[in-house]
Amino acid sequence: MAVKFPSDEWIKELSAQLNASESYAQAAATWEGDNIFVILPDADYPDTTYLYINLQHGKASDARQLSSLDEQKALFNTSAPFNTWRKVLEGRLDPIQGMFSGKLKLVGSLAQVQRTPKATYEMVKVAAQIDTDFGS
Amino acid sequence: MNGYLGKLLRVDLNQSRLWDEALNEDYARNYVGGSGLAARYLYNILDANTDPLGPENPLFFLTGPLVGTSMTSAGRYSVCARSPLTGIWGEANSGGFFGPELRYAGYDGVLITGKAEQPVWLSIVEGQAALHTAGDLWGSDIYATQTRLREALGDPKVRVACIGLAGENMVKLAGIANDHGRFSARTGLGAVMGSKNLKAIAARGTGKVPLYAPEEFRAVTNQILALYKEDFPAQSLRAYGTAGYVNLSHMLGDLPIRYFQLGEYAPADNLSGVDLAEKYLTRNTACHKCVIACGRETRSPTYNDSKVDGPEYETVGALGSLLMIFDLEAVIHAGHLCNLYGMDIISMGVTIGLACELFERGLLTTADTGGLEIRYGDAETVFRLIELTARCEGFGAVLAEGNAALAERAGVPELSATVNRLEVPMHEPRAYLGMAVTYALSPRGACHMEGDMFSLDLGQSNLEEVSLEPGDRHDNTIEKGRTAARLQAWRNLYNSLTLCQFENPGVRPLLAAINAATGWGLEAEDLMTLGKRIVNIKRLMNFKLGLTKANDRLPDLLLKPLKEGGSAGYVPDIPTLLAGAYAEFGWDPESGRPLGDLHL
Ligand code: SF4
Repeated sequence: MAVKFPSDEWIKELSAQLNASESYAQAAATWEGDNIFVILPDADYPDTTYLYINLQHGKASDARQLSSLDEQKALFNTSAPFNTWRKVLEGRLDPIQGMFSGKLKLVGSLAQVQRTPKATYEMVKVAAQIDTDFGS
Repeated sequence: MNGYLGKLLRVDLNQSRLWDEALNEDYARNYVGGSGLAARYLYNILDANTDPLGPENPLFFLTGPLVGTSMTSAGRYSVCARSPLTGIWGEANSGGFFGPELRYAGYDGVLITGKAEQPVWLSIVEGQAALHTAGDLWGSDIYATQTRLREALGDPKVRVACIGLAGENMVKLAGIANDHGRFSARTGLGAVMGSKNLKAIAARGTGKVPLYAPEEFRAVTNQILALYKEDFPAQSLRAYGTAGYVNLSHMLGDLPIRYFQLGEYAPADNLSGVDLAEKYLTRNTACHKCVIACGRETRSPTYNDSKVDGPEYETVGALGSLLMIFDLEAVIHAGHLCNLYGMDIISMGVTIGLACELFERGLLTTADTGGLEIRYGDAETVFRLIELTARCEGFGAVLAEGNAALAERAGVPELSATVNRLEVPMHEPRAYLGMAVTYALSPRGACHMEGDMFSLDLGQSNLEEVSLEPGDRHDNTIEKGRTAARLQAWRNLYNSLTLCQFENPGVRPLLAAINAATGWGLEAEDLMTLGKRIVNIKRLMNFKLGLTKANDRLPDLLLKPLKEGGSAGYVPDIPTLLAGAYAEFGWDPESGRPLGDLHL
């Protein structure tokens, strides 16, 4: 059954699928950093939602929806309006194009992202495989 | 003449004669400045009989209308002449402060012809120009030359453009240095300067660039400055320099490895700009009014280098992965040697790369190289080859002719990694298929600054108004060809303005700045018209110098699919891509000749 995005269930599903992915484990072997995905409101989504996931050396843990940014700090905050996230997850926006164009705003350790771009790509690849319900 | 000083310095070295000449306003209005304006001037002067290293080849230093103003990253100047390396249109440009200082000294540009009897240098101070005997300055490296000329003029603010040993020896890979280790590197224009017995130009002034609407200009340039606070590419360039792209480039298959024959090789990630910043960076450096500061000053303890300019992404590729050298310190040192002697790092690296490949295949032996074994991964030999090339000694005299000449000499022109005899830079046309158009049609031969499809397809997204939008990098279509052509026009405008290509405020702010500086009242579509006109005149110039449509091609080496990595299996479909580009430029499909109104 499709998992609603964004939701606590969805980020937990991402965590499970990352942990099952051999190619993610390899690509992110040196990755150290937790991430908060900030889903901002737009015409198709009225709220701001925060999804937290801890990513260390190719494994994911502690995935959950946060009630606010005060609840948890992370090395990265990546924010974009709902429909931009949707484009990324549907493979219509390359995540690196998203960052370079400013459509996805990244705050955090640039060093990690630049040194291991494969980790980001593989994570998005895995995320795109989740059967996701975007609500329309 | 708003946006211009309205004056060129003319130098006839045959007669040691210097005079001022009014800038042609009509030319400036139609060709802007930098390499575009130089092309318009030189179109009437250059022809197939011009000897690139003869006194008749004019060497033109030119700035653009925004240079030396409060516009961020508008500190560049262009140098143009017939190239001794390629035999066609030669142009190179460089950042730093020399361009602005030339304008403060009172000139938009300097046009030099003839050859001095003895080595000389030229000073331009507050509107007064003079020639001086170079004496023992001849033979100095680029850093010593700059220091000594500041001392000679008694002013630490003097800015110098000069050649090193390679230029003096007319090595065809020689560039022109300014502001420590910034370079107008490509197409061998340092050799043209050397052929004229001109060691350096030193500029100093306190003048101002006249602007049409100074307050409006200030407001728009402040607005542009503010854009860079949150800009991702700007942040990345500031933190890790251009080499910050290495890991991403490697992942995408854009980083050339083992002389363009490997698409992926794990140790290439050791050349990361992040590691460079963490281990070897001593400080960032910036050009005139630049807030990005992508420049690197580094050290390399193993080789006792305490202050090195660079390495840039191109250095890391050309003297690193291309040669299978994955030690950043060795790359820093090799880059430093090229800087000291004043040589184009891309051309040097790609020429040494071919030597490695020829040696590997047994097409070059120690009998040809004066006993040197030239192997991939051997940094010490690379250092030696750089020195020999700059001095034109032994096998270095062969390398000094460039990659295409070496391939021909070895009887394997198909192994040359050049387009129209200029060495291919460190962006794979198999990774961004639009780069195939850029390389094939670039007026100076293979050049990544003529249309950075890697930036566009990576996500640069504020150029929609001139119909430039990021796309699929492996798109092999007519439309990709058209996009690459439009980007080439856009970047040719940049090279004429003369603006840094990392400064991308978008169409409206740039248009507002140009109009406030010049009072031209341009619309967005006029920018593309100007860019295309500039591409067209350079193409007509090249037709005059002997090129034909048949020269619009890529080397065989780059048309074989890579077997591994992020671009495995892709090759550009040249006929399709070029058909799109021809249509966009409005060129005759049969002859390839530009058909539009060139205001000649
Ligand atoms: S971004 Fe780099 S090259 Fe461009 S103006 Fe700034 S320092 Fe110079």
